[in-house]
Amino acid sequence: MQRFVNDDPESWLNAISIWKKLLELDAKKERLSQRDADPLKRKVGENEIIVAKKLKIEQTQKIEENKVCQLDKQIEEETQEQRDFITKREKLQGEEPREDVEKTTDTSHQHDVTFRELGRVIGIALMKQFGWKADLRNPNLEIFIHLNDIYSVVGIPVFRVPLASRAYIKTAGLRSTIAWAMASLAEIRAGAIVLDPMCGLGTILLEAAKEWPDVYYVGADVSDSQLLGACDNLKAAGLKDKIELLKVSVIELPLPSESVDIIISDIPFGKKFKLRKDIKSILQEMERVLHVGGTIVLLLSEDHYRCFRECKESDIPLNSKGSHTVAPGIQKHLDPEENTGLSETVLSSFEASNQECLEKMSPCGSLVPVECYRVSLGKTNAFICKYRKSLSSGC
Amino acid sequence: MKLLTHNLLSSHVRGVGPRGFPLRLQATEVRVCPVEFNPHFVARMIPKVEWAALLEAADTLHLVEVPPGPVQGYERDEEFLRKMHHVLLEVDVLEGTLQCPQSGRLFPISRGIPNMLLTDEETES
Repeated sequence: MQRFVNDDPESWLNAISIWKKLLELDAKKERLSQRDADPLKRKVGENEIIVAKKLKIEQTQKIEENKVCQLDKQIEEETQEQRDFITKREKLQGEEPREDVEKTTDTSHQHDVTFRELGRVIGIALMKQFGWKADLRNPNLEIFIHLNDIYSVVGIPVFRVPLASRAYIKTAGLRSTIAWAMASLAEIRAGAIVLDPMCGLGTILLEAAKEWPDVYYVGADVSDSQLLGACDNLKAAGLKDKIELLKVSVIELPLPSESVDIIISDIPFGKKFKLRKDIKSILQEMERVLHVGGTIVLLLSEDHYRCFRECKESDIPLNSKGSHTVAPGIQKHLDPEENTGLSETVLSSFEASNQECLEKMSPCGSLVPVECYRVSLGKTNAFICKYRKSLSSGC
Repeated sequence: MKLLTHNLLSSHVRGVGPRGFPLRLQATEVRVCPVEFNPHFVARMIPKVEWAALLEAADTLHLVEVPPGPVQGYERDEEFLRKMHHVLLEVDVLEGTLQCPQSGRLFPISRGIPNMLLTDEETES
């Protein structure tokens, strides 16, 4: 880290100057909007969107990178993660301009670099190189450092508010950055029909509709209060014409089979949902209304995720034996709950071992797992899982 | 509820299956409001439209100038697209009912949101 500061002062100064320029743009924006000049407003608006987009992309890339590494580890080791996620601000001494160093450290047992040491090292290096002074109360510049076993990221936050805050969402449900990440994984294309069968306050649909406007969005929920909230959100965001709401149950969707192109949903966490049975019926219904080749992106809690893997493990004995001609009668005996007769034909088309881990996560015969990312929701972790509906018959 | 949505909905009362489509529309309160015309979007929706259902619903709402079907080269026919845009997206049923053609079950539409929750006896298991 020291070397990073000392060997490459130019990149630091470059980054700072870009950051300063962006801040100036921000200030200019405020002045312009007061003047209420339409063409100018639009131009500035565009810039804002570009910046926001870039950051969103960076953010999601970061999430994706981070979590893909973790996923690999998980598959290999299948042990519980030992990660300390620590955020700390630390005071240092120095001169102008004042800085505030904020660090997060992801450590495992091997390295044991504490945030204190890291903070000290960086702070001292910066002081020596640029003559900056640390100030905890009113810094000009905030430096953010993320260090884990695989890589380190040093950055300067551009926005003073959390990235997830949105001007157009009145009441947020799911964190907006996660919603956007899910939507971006779903391969939304113009003219698609996108369904969120448990939309709640509609956060996912709002994020998607803002980014991909040439699309038909439908949100569904069983709760009146949530639908009212969603309605308010849509009005506030000006998206009432792009998103339709239905009061329907996700296990009984009043839609013809294969009528929807994309499903994005946040599976409710919490004990109200009895894991195995409910999830199975939800997935069956989602799978039914989805077009072949369509994608499903789900946000799963740790429990649901574990359940998905366990569900499929009961089918694994079929696969490892390499026998694909087990009679339906025998299969039913192995797992009387699930209709595994059909899923067998899908399994037989997979390559044996390197797909086995992903197969473990396929909860439903014709839904092929594509990718899966671990994300942080603040206090808890969750998984964004993407599936595609293949040609073979359903659950 | 817009007519594009109505075009997608089908009854899922037990035993009804594909005969649950289309739902018969009855409206007591309708609002027509302008929606930004997006020709690309409308053009992409045209192949997905179930025309008979759409015409029936449009008829119930006494809409005029509804194209009876897709025309040759509709993707570039702005007049056609504008008419479809109006029918599919600018007519909003705020209050009314949807009726399953097979079982007769009525689903209310309230504040623009259709309520299609079924009781336990009615659901297909």
